[in-house]
Amino acid sequence: MKRIVITGSGIVSAIGIGKQETLESLLREQSGIGPMCHLESVHRLPVGEVRLSNEEIRKRFIYDGQASRSALLGILAAREALEEAGINKGLLAKSALISGTTVGGMETTERDYLHWEPGENLETMALHDAGSTTETIAAALGGVAFCTTTSTACSSALNAIISGANMLLAGDAECVIAGGTECLSKFHLNGFNALMILDREPCRPFDDTRAGLNLGEGAAYVVLETEEHALQRGATILAYLSGYCNACDAYHQTASSENGEGAYLAMKGALRMAQLQPASIDYVNAHGTATPNNDQSEANALKRVFGEQLPAISSTKSLTGHTTSASGSVETVICLICMKYGFVPANVNFHTPMANGIIPVAHNEQKQLTHVMCNSFAFGGNDSCLILSSSSYGETPLGRKMDFSVHESATITIDGATDYRQYLSAMEARRMTEQMRRVIVAARQALEQAKVSVPDAIITGTEWGCLVNTVQFLDPLCREGEEGLKPTSFMQSTHNTVSSVLAMQLKCHGYNSTFSHGPNSFEHAKRDATNLLKLGLAETALVIGFDEADERWNNLLGKVGRQVQNIAKAVVLKSR
Amino acid sequence: MDSLKEQLKAQIIEALNLEEMQPSDIQNDQPLFGEGLGLDSIDALELIVLLDKQYGIKLSNPKEGKAIFQSIDSMAEYIAAHRTK
Repeated sequence: MKRIVITGSGIVSAIGIGKQETLESLLREQSGIGPMCHLESVHRLPVGEVRLSNEEIRKRFIYDGQASRSALLGILAAREALEEAGINKGLLAKSALISGTTVGGMETTERDYLHWEPGENLETMALHDAGSTTETIAAALGGVAFCTTTSTACSSALNAIISGANMLLAGDAECVIAGGTECLSKFHLNGFNALMILDREPCRPFDDTRAGLNLGEGAAYVVLETEEHALQRGATILAYLSGYCNACDAYHQTASSENGEGAYLAMKGALRMAQLQPASIDYVNAHGTATPNNDQSEANALKRVFGEQLPAISSTKSLTGHTTSASGSVETVICLICMKYGFVPANVNFHTPMANGIIPVAHNEQKQLTHVMCNSFAFGGNDSCLILSSSSYGETPLGRKMDFSVHESATITIDGATDYRQYLSAMEARRMTEQMRRVIVAARQALEQAKVSVPDAIITGTEWGCLVNTVQFLDPLCREGEEGLKPTSFMQSTHNTVSSVLAMQLKCHGYNSTFSHGPNSFEHAKRDATNLLKLGLAETALVIGFDEADERWNNLLGKVGRQVQNIAKAVVLKSR
Repeated sequence: MDSLKEQLKAQIIEALNLEEMQPSDIQNDQPLFGEGLGLDSIDALELIVLLDKQYGIKLSNPKEGKAIFQSIDSMAEYIAAHRTK
């Protein structure tokens, strides 16, 4: 029987570098949202920028290696977490780093895309992929036993924590440093702008006048270990990770369903794991992006979970902006700070209640927080929730199922042309590239062979993600500027597009995740799936390996002797 | 107006990648969203990009699109009245 505890935490966002500054901003209800200073864009939009420049961050820890801003922010936050947890080099070498990011080194890619020539900037090409961000952080920290990268858009960091907790329960690592990092880039600023969900004013979560989100940037990590391990080495326990769950809305690529099914399932699942009743929750740090769709859907889901007796709820994105892939861990660390100092943080800018909404806590309230819930949702209806508890709770029902074996029921690989029409209607196929269609066919055929109609989990591994759509958005952005960009390309460019589309097709509301960590991505996805099976969190898992070649990208990569190959393979794992 | 409508259908098919569709498959008064052609909220955003690129019409609020994008008829009418190119 194992319990997971948190023994260290670190945070960087628009409201502060480190926990002390973050606490001070929270206590003053001081928002970090304002005009752009570091990011250069034609759009005059408020953002939540980390105040330090890249050079200033480097000076903080004397680092002069190649690194994207996402990696630099990550190093800063991870170092704080390690320091608090008292992790020395020896223990670090037996630990794992799991970091969430979506755009990875996009900020360097968009700067150098038109200037990657021999003798000029070619080294920054290696910073592009999501996995390289985590590798850079791991190297700067001093080396870990294992590192990987979750990439499920805005829920990436919470999914890193979930995956890390499962690793510990499965006995895969001594400690796990888990969280996420994302810096602002023109790419995702313009992506969200094309989706028309950016507010030109400071965002107003759960307010009737809300008109979208403000993008933020940041990084945050927690150090996870088993209670036994923490006590043995005399570490201070900051909180117990008493419950967590990822579920899929399986409704739409960008919009949340009206009744918030995925969010509801994630919150219910986390409560079930923690063996807590809804009434025990003292505070919910909501996803609360301030888009009209999210806040209505989340409010509906919260009411389904908690009934009329809603706990204190707030969205701290009103202070930090939406730190996208980092938001799950940024808000987890904010929860830890609030638990320590006993207050509910303000949901600033709230004035007018929504017709069928919830009333958030508009100003800080002193309150002892024993059980806190943190929500983090993403494109593809990828919804995650975790529960932090200040003291030891009941026995976790996990970690029991150790007498098991994993059986690979079916493996399908598709190389050439394929007839996808059996699995995809013309309307479904129109947003998918040829390679994405092949992957869908491979996945569906693997499920048929394994005689599984709806798997309990869908996990993909991809080194480069949906490259064709990424380049379709990036190329005109770099060549023609920030106008007239296609929202579909941005939406389809996220790494978890394939796993989300499959979830929608199969109406699979179960665990859904995506790993993007170099050529090992598929193996990492399989490892995550195996842990789910091992822990009894799933009995069947569809694991997909996916990559797609893009001509323009391969022309660039060719300059450093690399190429992206098409990969479309699927395997169904079953426990028995 | 008829030629505008035909041109618009071809532009919609291209912008939304409706691979297997011909302009003649879209009726002028057919609803573009929901039960009709089956377009969704992302398509609506693509139509906003199309209005901007092809006709120089800028919509700043996606809600404005709802009435305009009801059918080819309503779109053509709006374009004829507001186009800047």
